[in-house]
Amino acid sequence: MSDLREIVGDDLEPGELERLERVHALLERAGPPPELSPAMAVAPEPPTARIVPFPRRYRYTAFAAAAVAALALFGLGYVVGGGGGPDPLQTVAMSGPGPASAQLDLFEKDAAGNWPMELRVSGLPAGTYELWLTRDGKLAEPCGSFAVADGETRVPLNAPYKLRSFDGWVVVPSGNREPVLTT
Amino acid sequence: MSAESRTDAELLELIAGGDRNAFEELHRRYARSVLGIALRRLGDRGRAEDVTQDTFASVWRSASRYDPERGQAASWLYTVARNAIVDGLRRRPPPTVANPPDVAAGDPGPAEEAETEWVSWRVHRAVESLPDHERSLVELAYWSGLSQSEIAEYVGLPLGTVKTRTRAALRRLADELEGELR
Repeated sequence: MSDLREIVGDDLEPGELERLERVHALLERAGPPPELSPAMAVAPEPPTARIVPFPRRYRYTAFAAAAVAALALFGLGYVVGGGGGPDPLQTVAMSGPGPASAQLDLFEKDAAGNWPMELRVSGLPAGTYELWLTRDGKLAEPCGSFAVADGETRVPLNAPYKLRSFDGWVVVPSGNREPVLTT
Repeated sequence: MSAESRTDAELLELIAGGDRNAFEELHRRYARSVLGIALRRLGDRGRAEDVTQDTFASVWRSASRYDPERGQAASWLYTVARNAIVDGLRRRPPPTVANPPDVAAGDPGPAEEAETEWVSWRVHRAVESLPDHERSLVELAYWSGLSQSEIAEYVGLPLGTVKTRTRAALRRLADELEGELR
């Protein structure tokens, strides 16, 4: 074991000497951390979501069950809601550089923290788009993708996030990070 | 505020929101520490590097689960790293040795090994948090095998300055490692 006084000098007060001796012992005990190889010195690419397909034999059963559940929920909602939809808590207007515009209706958050939404968009060229939440002007969290044909498109979406930690919404073409609609 | 000046807990909060810069900063701070415990447990550089990558992938996916009220970010990251190591061991157990070597009676037991591992984790992280000009002197003083005179010559500073800066670094480490010093 090396001598602390050889490393930092010998003019230490007794209290400080004792404290630094303990750090000295920890450093000796820990030993050196390994050096990183060049490949390890950079952070890995953040993983993307993994899609786990249903086994083929269960696929049709799963589709049928989902369809039955959706119908049952729709029926229940229709009865409970008296046939009309809930009123949005907030409506966010979105616009783009061209004639395209959108209106995003935000409904009451569920117990799990999901914010149901309905996006009504018009004037965008036909294609596939994504709705994103932004923070400091950058895309932060995705809220789903949707396809647009001619005329107005209405699509239900969901934001499972704490909305207070974001500062806006944008629509981008799928695979592109340049917004075509912003709040 | 830049990612470099954020605390570990703040970085985790930003990572939970998908902040790539925060992720890179956390990787800069902890990659060597994670690789260190992975190497210690697995004894194989390639597997340890795989586990280190897995650890940061887990951090990216589960940062939102970190709750500052339940403990320090360093402890949470240590747990994530240990879980990744256990997963790595499950996927590829170490080869079975037909005639295992005799274990010396003085070898550390599992509890002592875990204690040493945690101390190394905290010490390496604390050293990583020092200002660059102090960190390099501590690393040279403790882990290069050079004397202080040789270090002074190597870095081109007077011997007294090297000792003063190393002392300042040790004081900073003492503050940072308060819990381990008791």
